Amino acid sequence: MERLFLNLGEGIQQWLASLGLGATAVSLIMVAIKVAAILGFVLLNVLYLVYLERKISAYIQQRLGPNRVGPRGLLQTTMDVIKLISKEDIIPQAADRKVFRLAAIVVFIPAVMLYAVIPFGKDMIAIDLNIGVFYFIAVSSTTTIAFLMAGWGSNNKYSLLGGMRTVAQMVSYEIPLVFSILGVIMLTGSLKMSDIIAAQKDVWFIVLQPIAFLIFFIAGTAELNRAPFDLPEGEQELIAGATTEYSGMRWAIFFLAEYSNLVAMSALAVTLFLGGPSGPWAPSWIWFVIKVYIMIYLFMWVRWTFPRIRVDHLMHTNWKFLLPLSLANILVTGIGIKIFEWFS
Amino acid sequence: MYGKGLIKGLGITFKHFFGKAITEQYPEQMPNLSDMFHGSFALDAEKCIACGICAKTCPNNVIKIASSKGEDKKRRLDDYQMNIGLCLFCGLCVESCPTDAINFTQDFELACFTREDTVLKLYQRTEDESASQSGEVMEG
Repeated sequence: MERLFLNLGEGIQQWLASLGLGATAVSLIMVAIKVAAILGFVLLNVLYLVYLERKISAYIQQRLGPNRVGPRGLLQTTMDVIKLISKEDIIPQAADRKVFRLAAIVVFIPAVMLYAVIPFGKDMIAIDLNIGVFYFIAVSSTTTIAFLMAGWGSNNKYSLLGGMRTVAQMVSYEIPLVFSILGVIMLTGSLKMSDIIAAQKDVWFIVLQPIAFLIFFIAGTAELNRAPFDLPEGEQELIAGATTEYSGMRWAIFFLAEYSNLVAMSALAVTLFLGGPSGPWAPSWIWFVIKVYIMIYLFMWVRWTFPRIRVDHLMHTNWKFLLPLSLANILVTGIGIKIFEWFS
Repeated sequence: MYGKGLIKGLGITFKHFFGKAITEQYPEQMPNLSDMFHGSFALDAEKCIACGICAKTCPNNVIKIASSKGEDKKRRLDDYQMNIGLCLFCGLCVESCPTDAINFTQDFELACFTREDTVLKLYQRTEDESASQSGEVMEG
């Protein structure tokens, strides 16, 4: 069970080699298979995350949620996707057509690229980069550009305001996010995902770095543009922010990227703070899924509990609360490491 | 403590998450309607004397009545139609009926596919001989 997917991969590789293909061709096909597997994982997750989000919001609001299409409403999101695909593709006349179209693609590419460095299980990491965490942060921050492109390309005041808010929020919250991760990096001394997981063999970093986890969680929520930090798409003020003019499948791609980022951010939180894909009894990849879903539940629970914060409070929380706190956390961590070194 | 309210809020939503749904599961579970509920209409054709008071009192001219003289020289009802699409369910027709012939029912599922379907045909005389008699159509 533990090596189910690894054996599967090796099996496919051997089968391809037995077909008489060259080594380069085999490795190219293996990369394509890996990408397809990751895409499948992401799309399937997103499909059911939307259902999960609706169910969780319903239960929190003491309703039942979707329960008409399929058993317990399980086919609801599938039907929604089919509907979205069949919808008319509308591009506003005044829009910057190239930028408008490109934005939907640009938003999705980094959302998938993030999964290259995520450890789905023991030895189940597509590319174990030695700067894995850095790669994740660098790629995830490029999503900002897509939102600005969408806001600008739509040629609509709400879209532009939403796009600008997204940029302001995501750029600001990137800083405490990175600083909170720095605490973990200082403890491990490595940016490699597998090293970080290995360092958490005895004790999870959520125990050693509780404040860093809190900052990571808050800043992560803001990075994902989820409530209570959903100002970029605040319905009451901006209709839908940068995605106001988008409809049909193009809009669905934005939605997809949003949820795919949610999974990626949860996976990063699991890797950095919750010991990664490790646990007793069950195979590591099952533990990975369980932990990721606990994180996702946490994100959803917060979303359906708190109201949206005011736009000036948004920046105050970041610059006057999270940033000093994360800097203090780095200082305390540094002192703690030195003290630990003296005594051992 | 700073952030106490946030934790309290999370606690409440967590409790609700595992609690029971309080919403009414409509198609499976029908609402408890009061006796006075203004739903659709029912006509007791036996009681109706085709006086036309309901049609006159209707503020939206929803009710259309046709009547004719019967064999016993009494006025009798031929046709009773209500254009529910325009009805505002004020209940003046029910209130004004001298013989308590028209009444509200508990049926509130009035959605239909065409505009023609919104016309509620409450009574229509089927005997042929009544058609030959000189009829009188009353509208409010």
